[in-house]
Amino acid sequence: MAKEGQIDGSNVFMAATLTNPLRVGLRQERVIPPQCLIIFGASGDLTHRKLIPAMFALFLQRRLSSEFAVLGCARRPWSDEVFRQTMAERLQPTIATHPHAWEQFSQGLFYEPVDLQQPEHLVRLAQRLEQVDRQRATRGERTFYLSVSPAFYGSGARALAGAGLLADRQRSRLVIEKPFGTDYASAQQLNRVVKSCGQENQLFRIDHYLGKETVQNIMVLRFANSIFEPLWNRNHISSVQITAAETVGVEQRASYYEQSGALKDMVQNHLTQMLALTAMEPPGRFEPESIRNEKAKVLQAAHLAHPEQPWTCCVRGQYGSGGTAKNPLASYRHEPGVAPDSTTETYVAIKLFIDNWRWQGVPFYLRTGKHLAKRLSEVALTFRDAPVRLFDAAAGGVSANQFVIRIQPNEGAMFRFEVKAPGSGMRSRPISMNFSYDESFGEPSDEGYVRLLADAMLGDPTLFTRSDEVEAAWRLYTPILEGLKQSPERFPVHPYEAGTWGPAESDELLARDGLLWRRP
Amino acid sequence: MVPQFTLQAPLKLPPHAVTDHLKQLWEQPEEGYNGSATFTLVVWEPAWLEQHLARLGLLQDAVMGMQRPCLVDAARRAIGAYGLPSATAPLSSTLAQVLATQPGGNSSYDDLRGQAVDNSISELQPHRMITLAPTINGDQPLDALVAAYCSLPGDSPGGSVCGDVLVLRGGAASIATELDMLPPLIPSQLPCWVLWEGALGEHTDIFERLAAPPRRLIVDTALGDTGPSLRILARRIAAGQAVSDLNWYRLGGWRESLAMAFDAQDRRAALGHVAQVDIDVEGDQLCQGLLLAAWIASRLQWSLQTGHRQQDSSVYHFQRTDGVMVDLRLASVPVGFPKPHAGSILGLRLLCKPPGSREFCVVLCGEASGCMRLEGGDISSRDLVEEIVPLIQGSLEAQETRVLAGGHDTTNPLLATTAQLAHQMLTAMDASKT
Repeated sequence: MAKEGQIDGSNVFMAATLTNPLRVGLRQERVIPPQCLIIFGASGDLTHRKLIPAMFALFLQRRLSSEFAVLGCARRPWSDEVFRQTMAERLQPTIATHPHAWEQFSQGLFYEPVDLQQPEHLVRLAQRLEQVDRQRATRGERTFYLSVSPAFYGSGARALAGAGLLADRQRSRLVIEKPFGTDYASAQQLNRVVKSCGQENQLFRIDHYLGKETVQNIMVLRFANSIFEPLWNRNHISSVQITAAETVGVEQRASYYEQSGALKDMVQNHLTQMLALTAMEPPGRFEPESIRNEKAKVLQAAHLAHPEQPWTCCVRGQYGSGGTAKNPLASYRHEPGVAPDSTTETYVAIKLFIDNWRWQGVPFYLRTGKHLAKRLSEVALTFRDAPVRLFDAAAGGVSANQFVIRIQPNEGAMFRFEVKAPGSGMRSRPISMNFSYDESFGEPSDEGYVRLLADAMLGDPTLFTRSDEVEAAWRLYTPILEGLKQSPERFPVHPYEAGTWGPAESDELLARDGLLWRRP
Repeated sequence: MVPQFTLQAPLKLPPHAVTDHLKQLWEQPEEGYNGSATFTLVVWEPAWLEQHLARLGLLQDAVMGMQRPCLVDAARRAIGAYGLPSATAPLSSTLAQVLATQPGGNSSYDDLRGQAVDNSISELQPHRMITLAPTINGDQPLDALVAAYCSLPGDSPGGSVCGDVLVLRGGAASIATELDMLPPLIPSQLPCWVLWEGALGEHTDIFERLAAPPRRLIVDTALGDTGPSLRILARRIAAGQAVSDLNWYRLGGWRESLAMAFDAQDRRAALGHVAQVDIDVEGDQLCQGLLLAAWIASRLQWSLQTGHRQQDSSVYHFQRTDGVMVDLRLASVPVGFPKPHAGSILGLRLLCKPPGSREFCVVLCGEASGCMRLEGGDISSRDLVEEIVPLIQGSLEAQETRVLAGGHDTTNPLLATTAQLAHQMLTAMDASKT
């Protein structure tokens, strides 16, 4: 019998003009076994913004077993009921459409006041977990999620291990949020700590970009089709641009962002993961270790275009004021919580090379920024020009073939190539062939956390970064980070008007190679 | 399928001694061994066909209650040997019923039902597995076999996690007499699944007592006759019980392929203009066909109007939300080499007639069957999408594991809605006969 808010029912069919009614509820996905998710930092933003909504989405999709529990842990002296009530208030718009389902789901929410630094709290936590296991028949399967300040990742892992909560190597897992370290040395140190607490297969370092359907699609496009791989190398590709552009500013995150900046917030993790997936060799098998081996290998082969003079291949920028009279945008230095003389970059562009047989000599350009002209994440591969130019171009110059994987929004891919322009002459013009997820598939994609949380609970580490990957990613940018410490004057922050595509110096980085940034 | 046997030989006990024995077993477990706190699995495992094949010497192997390739091969040989139509599905109840009437054949065989567990199920570390193994000799007294069971040691420092198996083997009447011993053996705080591996409709007294809510039920509507199977399925779901139907899982490829045909946005509108659906099934067991038809109709919000027989077909009339009528035909087609389960889908044709544009036709053909019949009727004049539906890979045990691994205490809403409509279709057909 279909219950309100679940998969079936006419409420779902009402959306049928947008979705395929035959597609609803058909996902052939792995069902998560009975499980207890323990969230440390349960009173924080991430819990109600991402984690509980992701668990509720899994519940609605019936991917969560009836035998599940979420145990929220934080220092606040909440009760189970307060935790349930707080989550209900914060998820109100979602719950409003699924009240009955929420009622069922919330019966699996529990709360235990825990300070990870207090050994006696850990003893109490272990007892509570036993109790929840019995109450909800969760079979001792536990996923611990450290949604706490990064400063507590190491000590938190130690505390859990010390209490014996990570001892069961098959049934206990530890998820660690980003950022994993603040530089190469701190990432190494943190890896040493967490690896002393559990085996690598128990550790899930999360990068929510890897939860995006389109990021995963990079692998499928490359390795499920025989048409791309022969072209996916230095013989045919002249350059690669990887972009993650945001239209929003720093918003409420100034205190964090002032410490991190765009390089640590976006490039070291998200953009580098896109780089790895774009450039990696085909894995021998589709299994976690094979894939992560290839990703680590390609990151180890990557380096800044000029590691000895990193300032020549890295442009930093900071947004100034902009917008319109109707919708003015404040400059970064006028954002609440930002120092008036801040030199934190809100934009960064970097040129890299990868020293291997596939990519030798092909420049990879990475850029990310806040308050840019468009919200957009994409990987764009530009192909080499045709060896002989036989035809005039209708627009004056022949444009290079491009293959663009759109990560967000309008998820999909685009292939640009030349065709004959209509008319009696033989002039060419570029056209775009598009694939759109929305148009081709009858259902929307899950939010990244839904996929990643499910994978962690299933013990599948494919979409999580391994220790050597994290370290290789930090090592890649170490010349910049050290340069910033030693001679910051060589890495000025160039101002750019909010709402534009970044500082002019960034354009010059490509102009020196005779290229332009894409402005899609 | 990799069966794993219990690590110790089962101990034969008088039924009345079982409860105390199991209690003692877990009161003083050996060091390093923990009783698992997962779920209880109760299996009704008649394996009538397997027992008769073994009795008649057609299966040179122990009776295990698993759907192994050697069982299907032996069944196919028996179909030829006893002169049954070649269209008889090897695992259908028809064959078992015919073999039951064959005299003689007193071959001895080992009966290992309940003592061998599929590896994928044992990995889930069931707390207790209780197998009810009725014998073809209805007068056989009851044997109770008990063994502790441990998953093979992994690298977990927590020690091996163990459960136990209990097999009650004997005539169905003696099993029914001892059923009251089961409730104390099923911990109320753990989920309990009842896996009914017989036909729905057989031994209803045992079924009713065994499969009472809140126990979760796993059935296979391919194993019995259409009427009782669908009626019981629908009744249980309507009563709010969590029911999984293995036959519904076998339809997964068909549902996925049909949905895929309409994923492209420019085709989705055609779903509002379906005019005719044809479904061909192997033989006259119609459960799969009715479930597939009911799934389509319920997803597209059609309402059932009438049903009647027409030669070898069941014809149903549905009304679309815009008031237009849709013809849905379910045809029984004899085939030379049927799939193991009765009533497998052979093909599906769905015809859309959008006003003002060309007719749009989707034809889905089973991987091993082809669907020439559905390709007739001038489909070349229409926009055509034709796909091959792959056979569902994986054993029955793998499907059972999927249910047990991610258990739910409610029925999948898609199946719930579908089963109710399939039952209505059945009722409409019955009404047309009277």
